[in-house]
Amino acid sequence: MLLTGDHGYALFDQYRASCPERYINCGVAEQNMVGVAAGLAKGGFRPIVYGLSSFVPMRVLEQIKMDICYESLPVILIGDGAGVVYSTLGASHQCAEDVAALRAVPHIDIHSPADRFELEYCFSSMLRTSRPSYLRFGKADCGDVHAKTPEVPLGDLIQVRQGASAVGIVAAGSMVSRAVKVSDAIGGIPVWSVPSIAPFNRAQLLEASRSLRHVITIEEHSVAGGLGSVVAEIIAEAGAGCRVRRVGIEHRFSELCGSYDYLLSYHGLATEDIRRVVEAALAE
Amino acid sequence: MAAELLARPAPNTRPFEARSLRRTILRMAYAGSSVHIGCAFSIVEILAVVYRSHLATRPGAGLLEDARDYLVLSKGHGVMAQYACLYEAGVLNDEDMDRYFRDGTRLKGLSDAHVPGCEVTAGTLGHGLSVGVGLALAAQRHGTGQRCFAVIGDGEMDEGPIWEALLFAAHFKLDNLVVIVDENRFQAMGTTEEVMGLGSLQAKFEAFGFDVRSVDGHDERALDTALGELKAQRNARPKAIVARTVKGKGVSFMENENKWHYTRLTEATYLAAMKELAPA
Repeated sequence: MLLTGDHGYALFDQYRASCPERYINCGVAEQNMVGVAAGLAKGGFRPIVYGLSSFVPMRVLEQIKMDICYESLPVILIGDGAGVVYSTLGASHQCAEDVAALRAVPHIDIHSPADRFELEYCFSSMLRTSRPSYLRFGKADCGDVHAKTPEVPLGDLIQVRQGASAVGIVAAGSMVSRAVKVSDAIGGIPVWSVPSIAPFNRAQLLEASRSLRHVITIEEHSVAGGLGSVVAEIIAEAGAGCRVRRVGIEHRFSELCGSYDYLLSYHGLATEDIRRVVEAALAE
Repeated sequence: MAAELLARPAPNTRPFEARSLRRTILRMAYAGSSVHIGCAFSIVEILAVVYRSHLATRPGAGLLEDARDYLVLSKGHGVMAQYACLYEAGVLNDEDMDRYFRDGTRLKGLSDAHVPGCEVTAGTLGHGLSVGVGLALAAQRHGTGQRCFAVIGDGEMDEGPIWEALLFAAHFKLDNLVVIVDENRFQAMGTTEEVMGLGSLQAKFEAFGFDVRSVDGHDERALDTALGELKAQRNARPKAIVARTVKGKGVSFMENENKWHYTRLTEATYLAAMKELAPA
Protein backbone atom coordinates (compact mmCIF):
# COMPACT_ATOMS: atom_id res chain seq x y z
CA MET A 1 0.00 0.00 0.00
CA LEU A 2 1.58 3.27 -1.12
CA LEU A 3 0.83 6.42 0.88
CA THR A 4 1.90 9.88 -0.16
CA GLY A 5 1.45 13.24 1.49
CA ASP A 6 0.35 14.85 -1.77
CA HIS A 7 3.89 14.57 -3.13
CA GLY A 8 5.23 12.79 -6.19
CA TYR A 9 3.25 14.52 -8.95
CA ALA A 10 3.40 12.34 -12.10
CA LEU A 11 5.83 9.96 -10.33
CA PHE A 12 3.02 7.59 -9.39
CA ASP A 13 0.87 7.84 -12.53
CA GLN A 14 1.72 4.35 -13.74
CA TYR A 15 1.36 2.82 -10.27
CA ARG A 16 -1.99 4.52 -9.68
CA ALA A 17 -3.28 3.30 -13.01
CA SER A 18 -2.20 -0.30 -12.47
CA CYS A 19 -3.23 -0.69 -8.80
CA PRO A 20 -5.47 2.16 -7.69
CA GLU A 21 -6.67 0.19 -4.66
CA ARG A 22 -3.13 0.26 -3.29
CA TYR A 23 -2.54 4.00 -3.63
CA ILE A 24 -3.61 6.55 -1.03
CA ASN A 25 -2.98 10.26 -1.26
CA CYS A 26 -3.25 11.28 2.39
CA GLY A 27 -3.30 14.97 1.61
CA VAL A 28 -0.90 17.54 3.00
CA ALA A 29 -1.05 15.88 6.41
CA GLU A 30 2.12 13.93 7.05
CA GLN A 31 1.60 13.30 10.77
CA ASN A 32 -1.71 11.56 10.17
CA MET A 33 -0.22 9.72 7.18
CA VAL A 34 2.43 8.05 9.33
CA GLY A 35 -0.10 7.11 12.01
CA VAL A 36 -2.39 5.66 9.35
CA ALA A 37 0.55 3.70 7.94
CA ALA A 38 1.15 2.24 11.41
CA GLY A 39 -2.52 1.24 11.66
CA LEU A 40 -2.43 -0.31 8.19
CA ALA A 41 0.66 -2.31 9.15
CA LYS A 42 -1.05 -3.52 12.31
CA GLY A 43 -4.02 -4.46 10.13
CA GLY A 44 -1.93 -6.62 7.82
CA PHE A 45 -0.75 -4.28 5.05
CA ARG A 46 2.83 -3.45 4.03
CA PRO A 47 2.70 0.35 3.80
CA ILE A 48 5.23 2.38 1.85
CA VAL A 49 5.19 6.03 2.93
CA TYR A 50 6.53 8.52 0.42
CA GLY A 51 7.48 12.08 1.22
CA LEU A 52 10.29 14.57 0.94
CA SER A 53 12.99 13.93 3.51
CA SER A 54 12.31 17.35 5.03
CA PHE A 55 8.88 16.00 6.00
CA VAL A 56 9.41 12.22 6.16
CA PRO A 57 11.17 11.74 8.55
CA MET A 58 11.84 15.26 9.86
CA ARG A 59 8.31 16.55 10.34
CA VAL A 60 6.99 13.20 11.57
CA LEU A 61 9.86 12.02 13.71
CA GLU A 62 7.70 11.44 16.77
CA GLN A 63 5.14 9.43 14.79
CA ILE A 64 7.98 7.30 13.38
CA LYS A 65 9.38 6.77 16.86
CA MET A 66 6.14 5.98 18.69
CA ASP A 67 3.67 4.72 16.09
CA ILE A 68 6.08 2.67 13.97
CA CYS A 69 9.41 1.94 15.66
CA TYR A 70 8.19 1.25 19.20
CA GLU A 71 6.17 -1.64 17.81
CA SER A 72 8.78 -2.38 15.14
CA LEU A 73 6.14 -2.36 12.41
CA PRO A 74 7.11 -3.26 8.84
CA VAL A 75 6.63 0.20 7.37
CA ILE A 76 8.86 1.45 4.56
CA LEU A 77 9.59 5.18 4.65
CA ILE A 78 11.00 7.00 1.66
CA GLY A 79 12.43 10.49 2.02
CA ASP A 80 13.02 11.97 -1.42
CA GLY A 81 15.12 15.02 -2.21
CA ALA A 82 17.53 14.43 0.66
CA GLY A 83 20.44 16.82 1.01
CA VAL A 84 20.39 19.99 -1.08
CA VAL A 85 18.56 18.61 -4.14
CA TYR A 86 15.95 21.36 -3.86
CA SER A 87 18.72 23.87 -4.26
CA THR A 88 16.51 26.80 -5.19
CA LEU A 89 13.83 26.27 -2.54
CA GLY A 90 15.87 27.07 0.54
CA ALA A 91 16.13 25.55 3.97
CA SER A 92 12.55 24.24 4.24
CA HIS A 93 13.05 21.70 1.44
CA GLN A 94 16.69 20.84 2.09
CA CYS A 95 17.47 18.11 4.55
CA ALA A 96 20.79 17.40 6.24
CA GLU A 97 19.42 16.00 9.48
CA ASP A 98 17.39 12.88 8.60
CA VAL A 99 20.05 10.23 9.22
CA ALA A 100 21.12 11.87 12.48
CA ALA A 101 17.53 12.06 13.67
CA LEU A 102 16.72 8.42 12.87
CA ARG A 103 19.99 6.91 14.10
CA ALA A 104 18.93 7.50 17.68
CA VAL A 105 15.60 5.71 17.16
CA PRO A 106 15.71 1.95 17.82
CA HIS A 107 14.63 -0.74 15.33
CA ILE A 108 14.84 1.22 12.08
CA ASP A 109 17.16 0.45 9.15
CA ILE A 110 18.60 3.48 7.34
CA HIS A 111 19.55 3.21 3.68
CA SER A 112 21.35 5.74 1.51
CA PRO A 113 21.90 4.29 -1.98
CA ALA A 114 24.55 5.73 -4.30
CA ASP A 115 23.13 4.68 -7.66
CA ARG A 116 20.32 2.70 -9.28
CA PHE A 117 22.00 -0.61 -8.45
CA GLU A 118 22.31 0.25 -4.77
CA LEU A 119 18.74 1.50 -4.86
CA GLU A 120 17.62 -1.92 -6.02
CA TYR A 121 19.81 -3.57 -3.38
CA CYS A 122 18.41 -1.36 -0.60
CA PHE A 123 14.82 -1.57 -1.68
CA SER A 124 14.83 -5.33 -1.99
CA SER A 125 16.24 -5.49 1.56
CA MET A 126 13.45 -3.18 2.74
CA LEU A 127 10.82 -5.39 1.14
CA ARG A 128 12.31 -8.48 2.81
CA THR A 129 12.68 -7.17 6.35
CA SER A 130 9.92 -7.09 8.92
CA ARG A 131 11.54 -4.08 10.62
CA PRO A 132 10.81 -0.42 9.93
CA SER A 133 13.12 1.01 7.31
CA TYR A 134 13.97 4.39 5.83
CA LEU A 135 15.33 5.08 2.37
CA ARG A 136 17.18 8.34 2.03
CA PHE A 137 16.80 9.26 -1.59
CA GLY A 138 18.99 12.09 -2.80
CA LYS A 139 20.28 13.19 -6.17
CA ALA A 140 19.72 10.17 -8.34
CA ASP A 141 21.61 10.93 -11.52
CA CYS A 142 25.17 11.32 -10.33
CA GLY A 143 26.32 8.37 -12.42
CA ASP A 144 26.60 4.65 -11.66
CA VAL A 145 29.25 3.40 -9.31
CA HIS A 146 28.36 -0.27 -9.77
CA ALA A 147 27.88 -2.36 -12.90
CA LYS A 148 25.30 -4.62 -11.30
CA THR A 149 23.21 -4.93 -8.19
CA PRO A 150 25.47 -5.64 -5.19
CA GLU A 151 25.02 -8.96 -3.41
CA VAL A 152 26.44 -8.41 0.07
CA PRO A 153 24.98 -8.80 3.54
CA LEU A 154 22.97 -5.86 4.89
CA GLY A 155 25.23 -3.36 6.64
CA ASP A 156 28.36 -4.14 4.64
CA LEU A 157 30.59 -1.52 3.12
CA ILE A 158 31.16 -2.09 -0.58
CA GLN A 159 34.60 -1.32 -1.92
CA VAL A 160 34.21 0.45 -5.25
CA ARG A 161 37.86 1.52 -5.77
CA GLN A 162 40.97 -0.38 -4.73
CA GLY A 163 44.19 1.29 -3.74
CA ALA A 164 47.25 1.03 -1.55
CA SER A 165 47.11 4.59 -0.26
CA ALA A 166 47.07 5.30 3.49
CA VAL A 167 44.17 7.67 2.81
CA GLY A 168 40.79 6.07 2.18
CA ILE A 169 37.32 7.38 1.53
CA VAL A 170 34.05 6.10 2.99
CA ALA A 171 31.09 7.74 1.26
CA ALA A 172 27.34 7.42 0.99
CA GLY A 173 24.61 8.40 -1.44
CA SER A 174 25.28 11.12 -3.97
CA MET A 175 28.85 11.56 -2.75
CA VAL A 176 30.07 8.10 -3.78
CA SER A 177 30.36 8.94 -7.47
CA ARG A 178 32.28 12.12 -6.59
CA ALA A 179 34.60 10.15 -4.33
CA VAL A 180 35.21 7.74 -7.18
CA LYS A 181 36.06 10.64 -9.51
CA VAL A 182 38.59 11.96 -7.00
CA SER A 183 40.10 8.50 -6.56
CA ASP A 184 40.41 8.05 -10.30
CA ALA A 185 41.95 11.49 -10.72
CA ILE A 186 44.56 11.03 -8.01
CA GLY A 187 44.98 7.26 -8.31
CA GLY A 188 45.32 4.63 -5.62
CA ILE A 189 42.77 5.97 -3.14
CA PRO A 190 40.49 3.16 -1.88
CA VAL A 191 36.79 4.05 -1.79
CA TRP A 192 34.00 2.28 0.06
CA SER A 193 30.33 2.92 -0.52
CA VAL A 194 27.92 2.59 2.41
CA PRO A 195 24.41 1.82 1.14
CA SER A 196 23.12 1.03 4.64
CA ILE A 197 24.07 3.34 7.49
CA ALA A 198 22.05 1.24 9.95
CA PRO A 199 22.79 -1.57 10.48
CA PHE A 200 26.52 -1.03 9.94
CA ASN A 201 29.28 -3.62 9.76
CA ARG A 202 31.69 -2.34 12.43
CA ALA A 203 34.18 -5.17 12.08
CA GLN A 204 34.50 -4.59 8.36
CA LEU A 205 35.23 -0.89 8.85
CA LEU A 206 37.86 -1.64 11.49
CA GLU A 207 39.49 -4.23 9.25
CA ALA A 208 39.58 -1.76 6.35
CA SER A 209 40.94 1.03 8.54
CA ARG A 210 43.92 -1.03 9.69
CA SER A 211 45.95 -0.10 6.63
CA LEU A 212 44.84 3.54 6.67
CA ARG A 213 46.28 6.65 8.28
CA HIS A 214 43.27 8.78 7.33
CA VAL A 215 39.64 7.85 6.78
CA ILE A 216 37.72 10.59 5.00
CA THR A 217 33.94 10.34 5.19
CA ILE A 218 31.80 12.14 2.64
CA GLU A 219 28.05 12.61 2.73
CA GLU A 220 25.42 15.11 1.59
CA HIS A 221 24.25 15.34 5.19
CA SER A 222 25.27 17.12 8.35
CA VAL A 223 28.67 16.18 9.75
CA ALA A 224 26.81 15.72 13.05
CA GLY A 225 25.11 12.38 13.41
CA GLY A 226 25.44 10.89 9.94
CA LEU A 227 27.91 8.55 8.26
CA GLY A 228 30.88 10.58 9.51
CA SER A 229 29.72 10.21 13.07
CA VAL A 230 29.18 6.47 12.65
CA VAL A 231 32.70 6.01 11.35
CA ALA A 232 34.28 8.33 13.93
CA GLU A 233 32.49 6.62 16.80
CA ILE A 234 33.54 3.14 15.70
CA ILE A 235 37.16 4.08 15.14
CA ALA A 236 37.43 6.10 18.35
CA GLU A 237 35.77 3.43 20.49
CA ALA A 238 38.03 0.73 19.08
CA GLY A 239 41.09 2.87 19.70
CA ALA A 240 42.05 2.41 16.06
CA GLY A 241 45.02 4.46 15.09
CA CYS A 242 43.73 6.39 12.10
CA ARG A 243 42.37 9.89 11.90
CA VAL A 244 38.82 10.57 10.73
CA ARG A 245 38.06 13.64 8.65
CA ARG A 246 34.32 14.23 8.17
CA VAL A 247 33.25 15.99 5.00
CA GLY A 248 29.60 17.00 4.95
CA ILE A 249 27.32 19.90 5.57
CA GLU A 250 28.82 21.90 8.41
CA HIS A 251 26.49 23.22 11.05
CA ARG A 252 24.64 25.73 8.88
CA PHE A 253 21.67 26.28 6.60
CA SER A 254 21.84 27.39 2.97
CA GLU A 255 21.47 31.15 3.14
CA LEU A 256 21.82 31.44 -0.64
CA CYS A 257 20.30 29.52 -3.50
CA GLY A 258 21.34 28.43 -6.97
CA SER A 259 21.98 25.24 -8.92
CA TYR A 260 22.55 21.90 -7.21
CA ASP A 261 26.23 22.10 -8.08
CA TYR A 262 26.39 25.63 -6.64
CA LEU A 263 24.87 24.44 -3.36
CA LEU A 264 27.32 21.53 -3.16
CA SER A 265 30.14 23.97 -3.65
CA TYR A 266 28.59 26.33 -1.06
CA HIS A 267 28.77 23.51 1.46
CA GLY A 268 32.23 22.30 0.42
CA LEU A 269 30.96 19.12 -1.24
CA ALA A 270 31.97 19.72 -4.87
CA THR A 271 34.39 17.24 -6.41
CA GLU A 272 37.18 19.84 -6.22
CA ASP A 273 36.52 20.39 -2.50
CA ILE A 274 36.77 16.67 -1.86
CA ARG A 275 39.97 16.47 -3.88
CA ARG A 276 41.54 19.22 -1.77
CA VAL A 277 40.68 17.39 1.44
CA VAL A 278 42.16 14.14 0.13
CA GLU A 279 45.32 15.86 -1.08
CA ALA A 280 45.75 17.61 2.27
CA ALA A 281 45.48 14.25 4.01
CA LEU A 282 47.99 12.70 1.63
CA ALA A 283 50.42 15.55 2.36
CA GLU A 284 50.29 14.99 6.12
CA MET B 1 -9.96 -0.78 57.73
CA ALA B 2 -7.15 -0.32 55.23
CA ALA B 3 -6.50 -4.03 54.94
CA GLU B 4 -10.17 -4.68 54.44
CA LEU B 5 -10.43 -2.13 51.64
CA LEU B 6 -7.31 -3.46 49.95
CA ALA B 7 -8.78 -6.95 49.82
CA ARG B 8 -9.78 -8.43 46.49
CA PRO B 9 -13.03 -7.05 45.13
CA ALA B 10 -16.00 -9.38 45.31
CA PRO B 11 -16.78 -11.01 41.96
CA ASN B 12 -19.13 -8.84 39.96
CA THR B 13 -22.58 -10.00 39.12
CA ARG B 14 -22.56 -7.54 36.24
CA PRO B 15 -19.42 -7.29 34.13
CA PHE B 16 -17.68 -3.95 33.84
CA GLU B 17 -19.67 -2.39 36.65
CA ALA B 18 -18.56 1.24 36.93
CA ARG B 19 -18.10 1.43 40.70
CA SER B 20 -16.05 -1.74 40.63
CA LEU B 21 -13.89 -0.39 37.81
CA ARG B 22 -13.29 2.81 39.77
CA ARG B 23 -12.28 0.79 42.81
CA THR B 24 -9.78 -1.09 40.69
CA ILE B 25 -8.42 2.24 39.43
CA LEU B 26 -8.01 3.46 43.00
CA ARG B 27 -6.36 0.20 43.98
CA MET B 28 -3.80 0.62 41.19
CA ALA B 29 -3.33 4.32 41.79
CA TYR B 30 -2.71 3.76 45.48
CA ALA B 31 -0.40 0.80 44.91
CA GLY B 32 1.64 2.72 42.33
CA SER B 33 1.27 6.22 43.79
CA SER B 34 0.02 7.16 40.33
CA VAL B 35 -1.34 10.43 38.99
CA HIS B 36 -4.08 10.78 36.29
CA ILE B 37 -6.89 9.48 38.50
CA GLY B 38 -9.39 12.14 37.39
CA CYS B 39 -8.52 11.46 33.72
CA ALA B 40 -9.30 7.76 34.16
CA PHE B 41 -12.50 8.33 36.12
CA SER B 42 -14.10 10.41 33.37
CA ILE B 43 -13.99 7.56 30.82
CA VAL B 44 -15.10 4.67 33.03
CA GLU B 45 -18.66 4.39 31.72
CA ILE B 46 -17.51 4.91 28.13
CA LEU B 47 -15.07 2.01 28.33
CA ALA B 48 -17.48 -0.12 30.36
CA VAL B 49 -20.19 0.13 27.69
CA VAL B 50 -17.78 -0.45 24.81
CA TYR B 51 -16.17 -3.48 26.48
CA ARG B 52 -19.43 -4.94 27.73
CA SER B 53 -21.63 -4.54 24.68
CA HIS B 54 -19.68 -3.47 21.61
CA LEU B 55 -16.28 -5.17 21.57
CA ALA B 56 -15.73 -8.85 20.98
CA THR B 57 -19.39 -9.41 20.32
CA ARG B 58 -18.81 -11.39 17.12
CA PRO B 59 -17.70 -15.02 17.11
CA GLY B 60 -13.93 -15.34 16.89
CA ALA B 61 -13.39 -11.71 17.85
CA GLY B 62 -12.21 -12.01 21.45
CA LEU B 63 -10.23 -9.14 22.90
CA LEU B 64 -6.89 -10.57 21.82
CA GLU B 65 -7.91 -12.35 18.62
CA ASP B 66 -6.98 -11.19 15.13
CA ALA B 67 -10.58 -10.58 14.09
CA ARG B 68 -11.30 -8.35 17.11
CA ASP B 69 -12.83 -4.93 17.02
CA TYR B 70 -10.37 -2.31 18.15
CA LEU B 71 -10.55 -0.06 21.19
CA VAL B 72 -7.94 2.61 20.69
CA LEU B 73 -7.26 4.72 23.75
CA SER B 74 -5.78 7.82 22.20
CA LYS B 75 -5.98 9.77 25.47
CA GLY B 76 -3.36 7.44 26.88
CA HIS B 77 -3.26 9.10 30.30
CA GLY B 78 -6.67 7.57 31.05
CA VAL B 79 -5.09 4.13 30.80
CA MET B 80 -5.92 2.99 34.32
CA ALA B 81 -9.56 2.81 33.23
CA GLN B 82 -8.54 0.48 30.41
CA TYR B 83 -6.36 -1.60 32.74
CA ALA B 84 -9.35 -1.95 35.07
CA CYS B 85 -11.45 -3.27 32.15
CA LEU B 86 -8.70 -5.61 31.00
CA TYR B 87 -8.35 -6.87 34.56
CA GLU B 88 -12.05 -7.55 34.66
CA ALA B 89 -11.82 -9.30 31.30
CA GLY B 90 -9.08 -11.56 32.66
CA VAL B 91 -6.38 -10.17 30.37
CA LEU B 92 -4.50 -8.55 33.27
CA ASN B 93 -4.10 -10.13 36.68
CA ASP B 94 -3.95 -9.26 40.37
CA GLU B 95 -0.20 -8.96 40.32
CA ASP B 96 -0.48 -6.36 37.54
CA MET B 97 -2.83 -4.34 39.70
CA ASP B 98 -1.06 -4.64 43.04
CA ARG B 99 2.48 -4.19 41.74
CA TYR B 100 1.65 -1.18 39.56
CA PHE B 101 4.79 0.89 38.89
CA ARG B 102 7.06 -1.48 40.83
CA ASP B 103 10.52 -1.98 39.38
CA GLY B 104 10.45 -4.23 36.32
CA THR B 105 6.68 -4.30 35.82
CA ARG B 106 4.97 -3.97 32.44
CA LEU B 107 2.07 -1.57 32.98
CA LYS B 108 3.10 2.02 32.40
CA GLY B 109 1.32 5.23 33.25
CA LEU B 110 0.32 5.76 29.64
CA SER B 111 -1.27 3.45 27.08
CA ASP B 112 1.34 1.09 25.63
CA ALA B 113 0.81 -1.24 22.69
CA HIS B 114 3.14 -3.83 24.23
CA VAL B 115 0.50 -4.48 26.89
CA PRO B 116 -2.00 -7.13 25.76
CA GLY B 117 -5.33 -5.49 25.08
CA CYS B 118 -3.87 -2.03 24.47
CA GLU B 119 -3.95 -1.25 20.75
CA VAL B 120 -1.76 1.83 20.61
CA THR B 121 1.05 3.59 22.37
CA ALA B 122 -0.40 6.90 23.36
CA GLY B 123 0.19 9.59 25.90
CA THR B 124 1.97 11.71 23.42
CA LEU B 125 -1.34 13.13 22.31
CA GLY B 126 -2.81 13.19 18.83
CA HIS B 127 -1.23 9.87 17.80
CA GLY B 128 -3.74 7.17 18.64
CA LEU B 129 -6.58 8.46 16.51
CA SER B 130 -4.47 8.31 13.33
CA VAL B 131 -3.38 4.75 14.11
CA GLY B 132 -7.03 3.90 14.75
CA VAL B 133 -7.95 5.42 11.41
CA GLY B 134 -5.32 3.18 9.81
CA LEU B 135 -6.79 0.13 11.56
CA ALA B 136 -10.27 1.09 10.36
CA LEU B 137 -8.95 1.61 6.84
CA ALA B 138 -7.22 -1.79 6.86
CA ALA B 139 -10.49 -3.42 7.97
CA GLN B 140 -12.44 -1.54 5.32
CA ARG B 141 -10.01 -2.52 2.55
CA HIS B 142 -9.86 -6.14 3.70
CA GLY B 143 -13.64 -6.25 4.12
CA THR B 144 -13.37 -7.86 7.56
CA GLY B 145 -16.29 -6.03 9.19
CA GLN B 146 -14.08 -4.98 12.10
CA ARG B 147 -14.83 -1.69 13.82
CA CYS B 148 -12.55 0.74 15.54
CA PHE B 149 -13.62 2.71 18.62
CA ALA B 150 -11.20 5.54 19.32
CA VAL B 151 -11.42 7.37 22.63
CA ILE B 152 -9.87 10.83 22.53
CA GLY B 153 -9.74 13.61 25.09
CA ASP B 154 -11.15 17.06 24.49
CA GLY B 155 -7.85 18.59 25.58
CA GLU B 156 -6.18 16.25 23.09
CA MET B 157 -8.13 17.97 20.34
CA ASP B 158 -5.69 20.88 20.56
CA GLU B 159 -3.34 18.62 18.59
CA GLY B 160 -3.24 19.21 14.83
CA PRO B 161 -3.08 15.52 13.77
CA ILE B 162 -6.54 14.99 15.32
CA TRP B 163 -8.02 17.24 12.68
CA GLU B 164 -5.93 15.66 9.95
CA ALA B 165 -7.30 12.28 11.03
CA LEU B 166 -10.90 13.51 11.06
CA LEU B 167 -10.57 14.91 7.53
CA PHE B 168 -9.05 11.63 6.38
CA ALA B 169 -11.73 9.46 8.03
CA ALA B 170 -14.51 11.34 6.29
CA HIS B 171 -12.74 11.47 2.93
CA PHE B 172 -12.11 7.73 2.94
CA LYS B 173 -15.65 6.97 4.14
CA LEU B 174 -14.63 5.06 7.28
CA ASP B 175 -18.08 4.22 8.61
CA ASN B 176 -16.49 1.52 10.77
CA LEU B 177 -14.77 4.20 12.85
CA VAL B 178 -16.42 5.53 16.00
CA VAL B 179 -14.61 8.44 17.65
CA ILE B 180 -15.66 8.99 21.25
CA VAL B 181 -14.65 12.31 22.78
CA ASP B 182 -14.26 12.42 26.53
CA GLU B 183 -15.52 15.98 26.90
CA ASN B 184 -14.66 16.63 30.53
CA ARG B 185 -13.81 20.26 29.73
CA PHE B 186 -10.48 20.14 31.51
CA GLN B 187 -6.93 19.81 30.32
CA ALA B 188 -3.63 19.77 32.13
CA MET B 189 -3.43 23.45 33.07
CA GLY B 190 -7.07 24.44 33.41
CA THR B 191 -10.44 24.30 31.70
CA THR B 192 -10.53 23.89 27.95
CA GLU B 193 -12.33 27.20 27.80
CA GLU B 194 -9.45 28.92 29.59
CA VAL B 195 -6.63 27.15 27.76
CA MET B 196 -7.87 26.63 24.21
CA GLY B 197 -11.57 27.03 23.57
CA LEU B 198 -13.03 24.21 21.51
CA GLY B 199 -16.50 25.61 20.88
CA SER B 200 -19.17 23.12 19.87
CA LEU B 201 -17.65 19.71 19.21
CA GLN B 202 -20.99 18.48 17.86
CA ALA B 203 -20.94 21.25 15.24
CA LYS B 204 -17.30 20.62 14.42
CA PHE B 205 -17.81 16.88 13.87
CA GLU B 206 -20.88 17.57 11.74
CA ALA B 207 -18.91 20.04 9.66
CA PHE B 208 -16.24 17.35 9.18
CA GLY B 209 -18.83 14.92 7.76
CA PHE B 210 -19.42 12.70 10.80
CA ASP B 211 -22.68 11.27 12.13
CA VAL B 212 -22.66 12.62 15.68
CA ARG B 213 -24.48 12.03 18.95
CA SER B 214 -23.98 14.12 22.09
CA VAL B 215 -24.71 12.17 25.26
CA ASP B 216 -24.13 12.19 28.99
CA GLY B 217 -20.88 10.25 29.15
CA HIS B 218 -21.78 8.70 32.50
CA ASP B 219 -25.22 7.47 31.38
CA GLU B 220 -24.49 3.93 30.25
CA ARG B 221 -27.89 3.43 28.67
CA ALA B 222 -27.53 6.64 26.63
CA LEU B 223 -24.01 5.64 25.54
CA ASP B 224 -25.18 2.16 24.60
CA THR B 225 -28.11 3.48 22.59
CA ALA B 226 -25.97 6.02 20.76
CA LEU B 227 -23.31 3.43 19.94
CA GLY B 228 -25.95 0.99 18.73
CA GLU B 229 -27.60 3.55 16.48
CA LEU B 230 -24.35 4.80 15.03
CA LYS B 231 -22.98 1.30 14.40
CA ALA B 232 -26.10 0.37 12.49
CA GLN B 233 -25.55 3.15 9.97
CA ARG B 234 -23.18 1.78 7.33
CA ASN B 235 -23.60 4.91 5.24
CA ALA B 236 -20.01 5.77 4.29
CA ARG B 237 -19.82 8.38 7.06
CA PRO B 238 -17.59 8.06 10.13
CA LYS B 239 -19.23 8.27 13.54
CA ALA B 240 -18.62 10.34 16.62
CA ILE B 241 -19.98 10.52 20.13
CA VAL B 242 -19.41 13.65 22.13
CA ALA B 243 -19.58 12.28 25.67
CA ARG B 244 -20.14 15.02 28.22
CA THR B 245 -18.22 13.83 31.26
CA VAL B 246 -16.99 14.96 34.66
CA LYS B 247 -13.27 14.77 35.35
CA GLY B 248 -12.84 12.76 38.55
CA LYS B 249 -16.39 11.38 38.28
CA GLY B 250 -17.47 9.11 41.13
CA VAL B 251 -15.61 10.60 44.08
CA SER B 252 -17.07 13.81 45.46
CA PHE B 253 -13.79 15.51 46.27
CA MET B 254 -12.27 14.66 42.89
CA GLU B 255 -15.12 15.74 40.63
CA ASN B 256 -14.24 18.80 38.55
CA GLU B 257 -11.13 19.30 40.67
CA ASN B 258 -8.36 19.46 38.11
CA LYS B 259 -5.67 18.82 40.71
CA TRP B 260 -6.65 15.13 40.44
CA HIS B 261 -4.89 15.18 37.08
CA TYR B 262 -1.72 15.22 39.17
CA THR B 263 -2.46 14.46 42.80
CA ARG B 264 -1.36 11.17 44.34
CA LEU B 265 -3.46 9.33 46.87
CA THR B 266 -2.59 9.40 50.56
CA GLU B 267 -3.91 6.72 52.85
CA ALA B 268 -6.60 9.16 54.00
CA THR B 269 -7.77 10.17 50.52
CA TYR B 270 -7.57 6.57 49.34
CA LEU B 271 -9.78 5.36 52.16
CA ALA B 272 -12.22 8.25 51.76
CA ALA B 273 -12.53 7.60 48.02
CA MET B 274 -12.93 3.85 48.51
CA LYS B 275 -15.66 4.50 51.02
CA GLU B 276 -17.62 6.53 48.47
CA LEU B 277 -17.20 3.77 45.92
CA ALA B 278 -18.02 0.89 48.26
CA PRO B 279 -20.27 -1.76 46.70
CA ALA B 280 -23.89 -0.71 47.00
